[in-house]
Amino acid sequence: MNSPSAQFVTSRRMGVYDPIHQMSMWGENFKSNSNLNSPASLIVEDVKLDSQSEDASHGISGPSNQYDQEATKPVDKAQRRLAQNREAARKSRLRKKAYVQQLETSRLKLIQLEHELECARHQGSYIGGGLDAIHPGFPGAVNPGITTFEIEYGNWVEEQNRQICDLRNALNAHVTDMELRMLVENCRNHYFELFRMKETAAKADVFYVTSGMWKTSAERFFSWIGGIRPSELLKVLGPQLNPMTEQQSAKVVVLRDACLQAEDALWQGMERLQQTLAETVAASQLIEGSYIPQMAPAMKKLEALVEFVNEADHIREEALEQMFHILTIRQAARGLLALGEYFQRFRALSKLWATRSHEPA
Amino acid sequence: MQQAIPYKSWPPLHTKAQQSFSLKVDDNPLVSPPKVVLREGEDMLNMVSENAVIVFARRGCCMSHVVKRLLLGLGVNPAVYEVDEKDEIGVVKELETLISNTGKDGKVLQFPAVFIGGSLFGGLDRVMATHISGELVPILKDAGALWL
Repeated sequence: MNSPSAQFVTSRRMGVYDPIHQMSMWGENFKSNSNLNSPASLIVEDVKLDSQSEDASHGISGPSNQYDQEATKPVDKAQRRLAQNREAARKSRLRKKAYVQQLETSRLKLIQLEHELECARHQGSYIGGGLDAIHPGFPGAVNPGITTFEIEYGNWVEEQNRQICDLRNALNAHVTDMELRMLVENCRNHYFELFRMKETAAKADVFYVTSGMWKTSAERFFSWIGGIRPSELLKVLGPQLNPMTEQQSAKVVVLRDACLQAEDALWQGMERLQQTLAETVAASQLIEGSYIPQMAPAMKKLEALVEFVNEADHIREEALEQMFHILTIRQAARGLLALGEYFQRFRALSKLWATRSHEPA
Repeated sequence: MQQAIPYKSWPPLHTKAQQSFSLKVDDNPLVSPPKVVLREGEDMLNMVSENAVIVFARRGCCMSHVVKRLLLGLGVNPAVYEVDEKDEIGVVKELETLISNTGKDGKVLQFPAVFIGGSLFGGLDRVMATHISGELVPILKDAGALWL
């Protein structure tokens, strides 16, 4: 009486899943019991047991020996059935666990891929070219460091837009220098935060950073080792800082020259790196059907690229810092506003460019 | 399973027959920093005190090239000492004695290492930072590396 209901109980528990799952579970039982009894015979045995117990209750004196002998056999069989049932239930639980885990990882992958697609669509970037950087190795592989960076960068841009709004309002409302100082400090720290994020991203995938993959297409046009050239920025935005004293103007010119010199030195180092990398790769030979043993020196050169990216950002950071030294708070606020708006416009341009191709000619 | 690439076990690109204190040869013969030749009995520490600016760098390091170019661009002719990988530890040890002498404790020696006026100035980071802030040129002038 117990055994069949026990089986039903198990299947009810498993009822959450599709019927196919249930069927397979039943199939398991079929397989495990094949050596001993078929379920059909089990049920028959149950009926026998029921009828026997009924007989026993009626016949008091009766053939008690016979009843004992026969009673042990069905009990054994019942025990065995219960054990097999437990085993089947355990296996079902394990399969359930594995299935759920698989679902979870697939779900995470899906979120990541959707997010990347979203970003790529926003930027209007050419996914074919971007895939190389985003998915190193085999397709479907996602670099978690880069995914994190992209999510963080999305947040960074949102915050940046808010700060630009605040600066604009503050300058128009002619707030006190004290209040302006706070906004300027926030903006300054926000930029430094971006440099830290880029440093981490460079370790995850240096080519992603050197290609400026997180930027919109128009921004990427100006990309120089993972960002814009600081001297270029000073040239373009310098006039917007006026009015400045003559002393300040002179200092800005000096700063721009220093940036140019630093940039040139860094660039020459990069060219040297390219040259040696090209020579190393050209000298690589097939050893026993593989290039890999000879690739070690080339790999080392590529690691040096991370240092170059960091150094380029270091120049940008120092240039920004120096500007804060040169300018008054109000001028710095104006400068930051100009800087923020400059990139905002590039992002808008990129968006416009991405949509223009869909318009009918 | 693929074996991990042994980064250190690759053979050097060029075999070297000469001593560890070897001459440095620059690509550009026109604008090249002076070759560092070790005279009898001279050692690295003497070189540091004798040269207004000296750069210690790993051989073939591209970052050291950046430092050299930057200094050359300023009109400085720095002495350059190229360190072989096998001698690196020994060189670092010797140079670190200099650091403690001049009282600049806590500065870890990293290549490329720039010495100005006989004491350790820093690495590429510091050179870049001081150059952009405008502090580098006066320091070089003080050390006698620049005359203008």
